[in-house]
Amino acid sequence: MSIVQTLRLTWYMCGVSLHRLVEYRGDFILGAFGFLVMFGVQAALVGALFALVPTVGGWDFAHVLFLLGFTMLPRGLDKMFTDNIWLISAFEIRGGEFYRYLIRPVNPLLMVLSERLVWPDAFGELILGVALVSYASSRIDLAVPAGEAIGVGLLLVVCGALIHFAIKLLLASLAFWTTQSFSAMRSVNELSMFAGYPLDLYHPALRSLLTWMVPFAFTSYYPVTYLLFGQRDLVLLTPVVAAAAVLAALTVWRLGLRRYQATGS
Amino acid sequence: MSSLFSREYETVRAVDDVSFEVPAGAKTAYIGANGAGKSTTIKLLTGIMTPTGGSCLVNGVEPYRDRRRAAQAMGVVFGQRTQLWWDLSVTDSFRILQRIYDIPDAVYQRNLGIYRELLDIDELGGTPVRMLSLGQRMRAEVAASLLHDPKVVFWDEPTIGLDLMVKDAVRALVNRANAELGTTVVLTSHDLGDITSICDQVLVVDKGRVIHQGTIAGLVATASQRSVLFSHSGPETLDETVREVDAMLPKATASVTDDHRVRIDYPADQLTSREVLASLLERFEISDCYAPEPELKTVIQEIYAGGRV
Repeated sequence: MSIVQTLRLTWYMCGVSLHRLVEYRGDFILGAFGFLVMFGVQAALVGALFALVPTVGGWDFAHVLFLLGFTMLPRGLDKMFTDNIWLISAFEIRGGEFYRYLIRPVNPLLMVLSERLVWPDAFGELILGVALVSYASSRIDLAVPAGEAIGVGLLLVVCGALIHFAIKLLLASLAFWTTQSFSAMRSVNELSMFAGYPLDLYHPALRSLLTWMVPFAFTSYYPVTYLLFGQRDLVLLTPVVAAAAVLAALTVWRLGLRRYQATGS
Repeated sequence: MSSLFSREYETVRAVDDVSFEVPAGAKTAYIGANGAGKSTTIKLLTGIMTPTGGSCLVNGVEPYRDRRRAAQAMGVVFGQRTQLWWDLSVTDSFRILQRIYDIPDAVYQRNLGIYRELLDIDELGGTPVRMLSLGQRMRAEVAASLLHDPKVVFWDEPTIGLDLMVKDAVRALVNRANAELGTTVVLTSHDLGDITSICDQVLVVDKGRVIHQGTIAGLVATASQRSVLFSHSGPETLDETVREVDAMLPKATASVTDDHRVRIDYPADQLTSREVLASLLERFEISDCYAPEPELKTVIQEIYAGGRV
């Protein structure tokens, strides 16, 4: 299958997924608005905190809102296209359904992802993220000029989405050895929630965990400290971290596939 | 384990130095008890599994090495599992498959026409696959496996749970593809009806080795048990006849059939039909006598029971 055909197929699958959103309207509404409820709890907590103190470690309310909003952008973007990976970790390999990605003349990873592109929850997350970032930046001054903030910001969002994707794929691929890795994925996904708050408030151990082990810090904290406070040292590494993470994940995925094909499990 | 398929001859050298060839265009039943190595072989041939040693070719391609190229020329059905998009309709699934396999419109429309005629595929319409009944889903599965005019189809239990009408339709569908396009068929099924109404060749595996390959008639001829049924006009009751036959032919077993005849089962390697008939004719006033063909079912049961080497 040529690249053109692959792109055409992907495009078509996007269309099918959008069509499905209409078919399963309830699912869409539940997904998109369920997210809002979750955010409501988060915002209430942060609001309550800042009702008591005006700033926390140099962060005021608008800064934290900006960080919360920015965190949703890479996560939402990734979720939009790759959440079908969860299926592998939870059911497909354990239940023996995984074979169906291997009987088509298409890259198996594309088969997995394209089975369901465009996830409803992602819309809620992206829209809310954009709204929060816009609102917060209207109340504070960014440390970088607006043009740079938007251009580099978008690039950082894409890198962040790739990091989310890589971590998900790598953990899901572990199911090739353990038959399911759903709980591992879920725990790590919950860890990503920590990245939505200022990391300098955390214990250094947790900070380095989120920077070097599971690099969620590059999906939000480092980009935001660059945009808000002009800190450039670590943010420059973001594309490198994204590339390395994707490479590592694809390697584990391929090894896992080979293992699956060797054992037929 | 290694196997070899080619355009003209599809050869499988499977487990323990055994190899077999399946000519292109043949319809081969792949028979073996549970655990005989059927699924493994099908997984190897479809590229889902990689052999630990050796190689196999399907249409000149090693499926696990060049999986995507091999997959283009293959259709697969695993009766127990769906390969369609569970929350999409059959129509949507087929449209996706058209793009995945790059099926020309003419071929796509022709095949849909055939599915309408044989499988009433339109009845499945816009219902998501997950809401179809087993029979409806299987109709969609077998149709999907043939949609791109594959050179080879591997069907693993394609009629499981289907009613007789649908079974017939499914069998007719694959026979038609074979007759019109020369599609090679490799089938595993526990339903002998599938085997006799689809296949012309059989391949019997046991404990990872091929123990018989040839026509169905050839397999039936290897039956180790033969039988003769007869009635006679003498004064003996059926039970007395049975006792006499048992005494006369110690290697055979006599029994009374439901329609009040006497049935003699004898091992083919120890008695000939001539010997059996000669003894009967000498002793009884035979009024009716016939020797039925051994049944494929019996032969296969023997294989599954491990009674054959």
